[in-house]
Amino acid sequence: MIEWSERKAYWRNTKVQMLTTLLPFLLALIVLPLYAEVLNDKRVLGIALGYFLACHGLLIIAFVTMAVFVNRQDAIDRWHGAHEDI
Amino acid sequence: MAATSRTRLVNPRLGTYFGIFAAAFVALALMALMLEQLGVSERALRYLMFAGPIVLYGAIGLLSPTREVNDFFACGRRVPAFFNGLVLAVTALGGVGFLALTGVFFAIGFDALCIGLGLCAGLVFMGVLLAPFLRKFGAYTIPSYLGRRFENRTLRFVAAVVLAVPLLLLLAAEVRLAAYAATWLTGQSEGLMAVVTMACVSAMVIGGGMRSQTWSGSAKAIVALVALVVPATIVALMVSSLPLPQMTHGNTLRVLTRLEGLRGLPDLSASVLTFDLPGAGLEPLARRFIQAFGSVGSLAFVLTALMTAAGVAASPVLLSRPGSTPSVHETRKSLGWAVLIVAVVLLTLPAVAIYLRLMLAEQVIGHPADRLPAWFLSLQKSAIARLDGAGPTVTFDNVSFDRDAVLFSLSFAAGFPQAFVYLALAGAFAAGLAALAAGLMGCSALLSEDIVHGLRAEVPPDGLRVGSARVAAVGVAVATAWLAVAAPADPLKLFFWSLSFSAAAAFPVLILSVWWKRTNAWGAIAGLLTGLGVTASTIFLSETGAWTMPSALAGALGLPAGLAAAIITSLLTPAPSRNIVNILQEIRVPGGETLYDRELRLLRLRSRAPS
Repeated sequence: MIEWSERKAYWRNTKVQMLTTLLPFLLALIVLPLYAEVLNDKRVLGIALGYFLACHGLLIIAFVTMAVFVNRQDAIDRWHGAHEDI
Repeated sequence: MAATSRTRLVNPRLGTYFGIFAAAFVALALMALMLEQLGVSERALRYLMFAGPIVLYGAIGLLSPTREVNDFFACGRRVPAFFNGLVLAVTALGGVGFLALTGVFFAIGFDALCIGLGLCAGLVFMGVLLAPFLRKFGAYTIPSYLGRRFENRTLRFVAAVVLAVPLLLLLAAEVRLAAYAATWLTGQSEGLMAVVTMACVSAMVIGGGMRSQTWSGSAKAIVALVALVVPATIVALMVSSLPLPQMTHGNTLRVLTRLEGLRGLPDLSASVLTFDLPGAGLEPLARRFIQAFGSVGSLAFVLTALMTAAGVAASPVLLSRPGSTPSVHETRKSLGWAVLIVAVVLLTLPAVAIYLRLMLAEQVIGHPADRLPAWFLSLQKSAIARLDGAGPTVTFDNVSFDRDAVLFSLSFAAGFPQAFVYLALAGAFAAGLAALAAGLMGCSALLSEDIVHGLRAEVPPDGLRVGSARVAAVGVAVATAWLAVAAPADPLKLFFWSLSFSAAAAFPVLILSVWWKRTNAWGAIAGLLTGLGVTASTIFLSETGAWTMPSALAGALGLPAGLAAAIITSLLTPAPSRNIVNILQEIRVPGGETLYDRELRLLRLRSRAPS
């Protein structure tokens, strides 16, 4: 169980983790599709780059974001003793 | 703390059970294929693929009955991360994600990504911002979470009334699409199929509530995924020699783009706020697949993606799921699985659309109107495709396609046996059923827990809670079936309205309830009502033609309004009491007992103690 004195530090770390997870993802989600038209002239693996980044790219970014978040947040929980005792 | 470790609650044989189920379903599909070759009538095959899976889901639903409150509303908190993610993903997509979204990809190409990306991003937002905290709290419904989190029963009632709006809209959208798929399978009228569908769904939910819904939902998810991936993979093998439609459709897209240029499909561009999605029914193919922002302008694209994400993240249908995992860590993991499964589906849907467009561009467009391939003629005969005003040769302008029929038309066009068409239809029907069951469960829990029992201070006995939820489920099922028959609207539009309401009303309040200590009950009530009001009036103005803002994007206006109202009202009213802040501090830490379970346990102890 988490100590009372640890709660503040734990929440600060959690907040920073939330922001570092969501802000780059949000930025990619907004920016990548906007440049799709321009990037469609270039090709990667035979796929138009704009479509590739907006479709495959963003979906992969979403999964990697989530996977990294789960592991990082678990590490933060354990570091501060806030994890569940299972 | 419970005497047994929580990981031990998870049934270790789940994988075996669902392996057996998947084998049974594949055997059913293979049997349909064999019977077709043996010359069994088409009608018998259709009914086999319609009723066979329903019997399987129904058996799973009816064989997991329960009278325990924790089992009925939270599946006993023993759903492992993968299965929770599976059900979450297919519920988030639903019939709209499978049938309508494929059609939107087919009709407007790239621009349809705004919906898909929004769905996927919504699950990321939910996993980071909301789900772990709601799991730690452990309430069975969102209004009951808000009511207890702010210790205010008025808020609980208001939230229940407000959140019923997106729930009912989603149910109305899904029942239309499930009935649409069922109509294709059985050949009966859509109204009758809506009634049959809701009867099946309520039979699957009533016995064990969340427990039935989770396990039959996992089965439906398996069927939906198999039925989507198998035909697409075979077509990918035919077209690109690699059985990976998700990764190889890009190369096919290059061929398609060249062909579309040759056949004279225009490159249109739209103004930044244009939002022109294909409606239900026959729609022409206006523009090239690859071209961005031809039907949905760039600003509308970003707004749609963000609004869909917020709507999915705060969707009351999906947010009852985190409560059923064994721990907060498992909840986060289940969202990871959900994102992965949704991503695989969202990479397969454009592949289906691209393959069908390619077949159309190669075999129909540019050919003489009197020498069209047999598959196109049969699509025309079943009113899926239409050819109007064709000159000597067919052009893109002459052809229009039924939006919701694209997913299963691919099997027609590829020349597969009819059993593949029925397989695709059974998959789409399964996805619709999964979303309907989740919506029905969410709505009945909301109705019985928060509206009927919500205003009383004491918790009613277990039997009464489960019983009233069952009665509510039947009531909601009847109302949904009636809605589908009485008010047939475009399901995609209803889906967007539902997302608009959950994005505008629920999202700001839920985010603030976890991430801002100063939020109080008045702020939450103001946020809920403002979000609802602004969204409803935007939809009304847009639908009556008084305002050019597309009604599907109403949530993009409602969300900032709801957020501002919640923050300003919270700042203008007294700060929350010490007790409320303590509850928040407990939610923020994963360790320790689930708050709601502890509350119920203490209540039970108190009622047993001699007075």
